[in-house]
Amino acid sequence: MDKMDKSDVFLCVMEANKGILYKIAHAYCKNAEDRKDLLQEMTVQLWKSFDGYDDQFKHSTWMYRISLNVAISFYRKENSRKRIANPLSGGIIRFPNDEDFTDTETDLGILQQLIAQLKDLDKALMLLYLEERSHKEISGIMGISETNVATKINRIKNSFRQKFTQLKKQ
Amino acid sequence: MGHTEFISIWKQQNAKIEKTLAINELLLKEVTNNKARASLKSLIKLKTAGIIAFILYLLLLSYALVYALSNYSAAWNYFIVSVSVIILVNVKGFADYVKHLAWANRINYNGSVMEIQQQLTRLQLSIISHAKSMCIQFPFYTTFYLSSEWFPQQVGPGYLLFQAVLTGSFTYLSYWLYKNHKPENLGKKWFRNMIAGSGGRSVLETMHFYKEMEEFNKEDE
Repeated sequence: MDKMDKSDVFLCVMEANKGILYKIAHAYCKNAEDRKDLLQEMTVQLWKSFDGYDDQFKHSTWMYRISLNVAISFYRKENSRKRIANPLSGGIIRFPNDEDFTDTETDLGILQQLIAQLKDLDKALMLLYLEERSHKEISGIMGISETNVATKINRIKNSFRQKFTQLKKQ
Repeated sequence: MGHTEFISIWKQQNAKIEKTLAINELLLKEVTNNKARASLKSLIKLKTAGIIAFILYLLLLSYALVYALSNYSAAWNYFIVSVSVIILVNVKGFADYVKHLAWANRINYNGSVMEIQQQLTRLQLSIISHAKSMCIQFPFYTTFYLSSEWFPQQVGPGYLLFQAVLTGSFTYLSYWLYKNHKPENLGKKWFRNMIAGSGGRSVLETMHFYKEMEEFNKEDE
């Protein structure tokens, strides 16, 4: 694959899976500027890893691995606090007119609030569950056993159920 | 609320995301042309600059040590011992920097979350441990200027006391920092206060995350 082809293929993969990047960035960064930086960092790392992409995995699995690792990574957090050295102007992925759909009143808003309160690793697990990834795939992405995946997801769902009802009543 | 309802709620956003979310192709091209920089690169740059600084400092110290050895007299003893220890500690620091640089260059995010985060945390913890090992040299900066020609026989009790307090407190400080700089002390307020200064926040976050990973990996029942 020459450089031209490679960047075109990469663009197609990004286009087809842009929702993954946006949802991960949204879950890990509440601040819009930090979110732009995170999306840039994820894209850079995806591009760097694109040569080594193993086609036995789906593109989405590959994207989850890299994007979640970047989102959780300390180096990104440290650097986003200091602002990255050469941020690109504008955002790589955005809604027209920087529209967003953060709210606190709808069911989705409440669910996003609950996800935001989770620890980083639990958050990754829950995002994968909500994206209907199988336990086997989640286990591969997270690097923990399938039993552990099932136990943790059940525990988080139970806690979500209780909190969700409470928040709905408020 | 049933278990699958969360998934239905989550899916509410998919249609809007697919319909309206736009990729900025121009910026993406900048990434594919390697114009955008990844954050680990700043660590790599920092470590490379550190390696150069270590080399220069070690050369300077080695020159001073060689000079003292080649013009040896008993008066140089304090200097020779102090500078030798400072050199050893800085050689260890230099080796750590090379190791960190090699690790940072090797990290590629295309692995399982636990595997990559463990690598990153190991790197961060090693950077912390590097900082604490550098503390070992502190007391020797209080002794290199002494000479057996005039110390201790030609100094008054005031200076003797001053030197003993100075070297003693630096020794204790080094020992204390070395001994207490560990994740197990994270829950203690004095430790959090101690590292809350320079770079303390990232140290705390690393240690928190280290514990979070241990717990995450552990629950398997």
